[in-house]
Amino acid sequence: MEPYAGIMLQDVYAWVRRHPRTADGVLAALLLAGSAGQLRISPLSTALAATAVSGVLAVTVIVRRRDPVAAFAAAALIGAAQLVFGLQPDGGGPPVRALEPTVTDLALAVLLYTLAAYRPRRISLAGLAACLAGAAVAVARWAPAHAANSGELLLAASAGLGAAVLTAWVLGDSMAYRRAYYVSLEDRIAVAERARELQERRARAVDESAARLRRIERDLHDGAQVRLAALAMTLGEIKENLEQVADDDRMLAMVGAAHQNAKDTLAELRDLARGIHPPVLDRGLGPALAILAGTSAIPVRLTDSVTERPSPAIEAIAYFCAAELLANVTKHSGANQITIGVREQDSGIVMSVTDDGDGGARLVPGGGLAGLLERVQTVDGKLAVDSPPGGPTSVTIELPRHA
Amino acid sequence: MSGPSAPLRIVIAEDAAIMRDGLTQTLTRRGHEVVAAVADADALRKAVEEHRPDVAIIDVRMPPTHTDEGLRAALAIHQDQPETGVLVFSQYIETQSATELFALAPGGVGYLLKDRVADVSDFIDAITRVAQGGTVLDPEVVRQLFSASRRKDTLAGLTPREREVLSLIAQGRSNAAIAAALFISPKVVEKHVASIFDKLGLAPSDTDNRRVIAALRYLES
Repeated sequence: MEPYAGIMLQDVYAWVRRHPRTADGVLAALLLAGSAGQLRISPLSTALAATAVSGVLAVTVIVRRRDPVAAFAAAALIGAAQLVFGLQPDGGGPPVRALEPTVTDLALAVLLYTLAAYRPRRISLAGLAACLAGAAVAVARWAPAHAANSGELLLAASAGLGAAVLTAWVLGDSMAYRRAYYVSLEDRIAVAERARELQERRARAVDESAARLRRIERDLHDGAQVRLAALAMTLGEIKENLEQVADDDRMLAMVGAAHQNAKDTLAELRDLARGIHPPVLDRGLGPALAILAGTSAIPVRLTDSVTERPSPAIEAIAYFCAAELLANVTKHSGANQITIGVREQDSGIVMSVTDDGDGGARLVPGGGLAGLLERVQTVDGKLAVDSPPGGPTSVTIELPRHA
Repeated sequence: MSGPSAPLRIVIAEDAAIMRDGLTQTLTRRGHEVVAAVADADALRKAVEEHRPDVAIIDVRMPPTHTDEGLRAALAIHQDQPETGVLVFSQYIETQSATELFALAPGGVGYLLKDRVADVSDFIDAITRVAQGGTVLDPEVVRQLFSASRRKDTLAGLTPREREVLSLIAQGRSNAAIAAALFISPKVVEKHVASIFDKLGLAPSDTDNRRVIAALRYLES
């Protein structure tokens, strides 16, 4: 039963949320129906006037969302008029019948709720004060006419009115609070979604850039480098032929210079291409690191337990970091032994480069290690340096498997 | 400069047409016969099987993966047809590839940087040595081996001249070639070689190839 009732209520709430105007119309009609008795008042003009007052109150409920303050003010004005003219004043004349309070006055509670729900507290608190004051005045003015009744009833009436007013305000206020909370929740969700979207875009950019670098290297290898090597070969042949006939030293010198230039450019181009994308990386990080270790001036012990290859971009970052760290160790540490360890951890890889050198390496802005950190951070990686004075030095880099 | 030698029968495997054609023309002009010029490893294996050349000149990076197809093919050819020399040449020098190649092959192998084609006579000289069962290793690889060698203390005990000679030995040069390169007499070279092998604690070797392997093993260890 309960889940069913729950679903029913949920459906009602959902309907109300989808049709706020109609819901308010229904509420206004119900409130107006509460004062249907006024139509029996005679003369007819008074009955119509009384109904008109109730009608205005009902209309304030219909327009409450459009302008909560104005709607409340209008209802409060009617309420005040009812207090002054509709309740029999102490020793005064008879009350104005058209201004007698009716069930429709519950509209005031609805409007106070609306005020609390849609407007800042300072405004809704003023409305609450006005309503409480009105309730007090109402009880005070109503009491003498019913002096026969006990004080308890008086107390109950005061408490009832006060509680109704307070409840309306508290409900509205908590609704305002909840709505603000939902808004902040939606903001946070939007921020989180944006962050995820940016992360995905960055990953694509990182992969794309790694692929592009690889393509550039391959283009150089298949294009400019080959052409230049062929050119150098032709120049070499011309040079050797000139040497055979050897009767034009000036020409020989020029061709010799061109030949040397071509060879030097080949060497430069090779270094450039290797800096863009080391071709050994195509075989995987492990083999690439092994080759790097093989050319190190300080002996390197390499352990690689990675079974599933990370993305090319990640491999490139790890490789360049290792190359830079090896160069650092060779230049600065005075080490005799370097250890490179690569292993899998959670959803990524961890690479540590350790040496038995002098230690004292630090991450300083603009330094080599800071450059590595920046590179690692482009894919949310981490870099930690442990290098006490006297050594040993250990640099640990954590990288995700994909950017 | 190599002296006039018997024309070699050569297979070229190189995926870049401009280099393939350039090499073919140059080698032909020097009196050698390029029996096949192919663009990938499979075609290379077929051509070598069919033509049984004296030497195959092989680019390391070839289709389909552009990584080390050439090296694999060279090793396979050396296994199946040891009488065919293999000269692997590459845009980049990788000590590991050289080591792999030389570990398997006692002779008839070479590993050179592609740039070396620029010095045509030296390159043809290298091809000829490989075709004749000799060993050729790029000076750059030797330089890297020297700088990465863990035997720094012992190497430091060699005289500068001895280090020069060791480097040439590692490149695969014969005593006569070393003598010519350093402008010294073969007798002096022999003395240097004996001294080097003595200092490094290596057994004296009778053939050039054995001493190349010994020198490389020493530098790598």
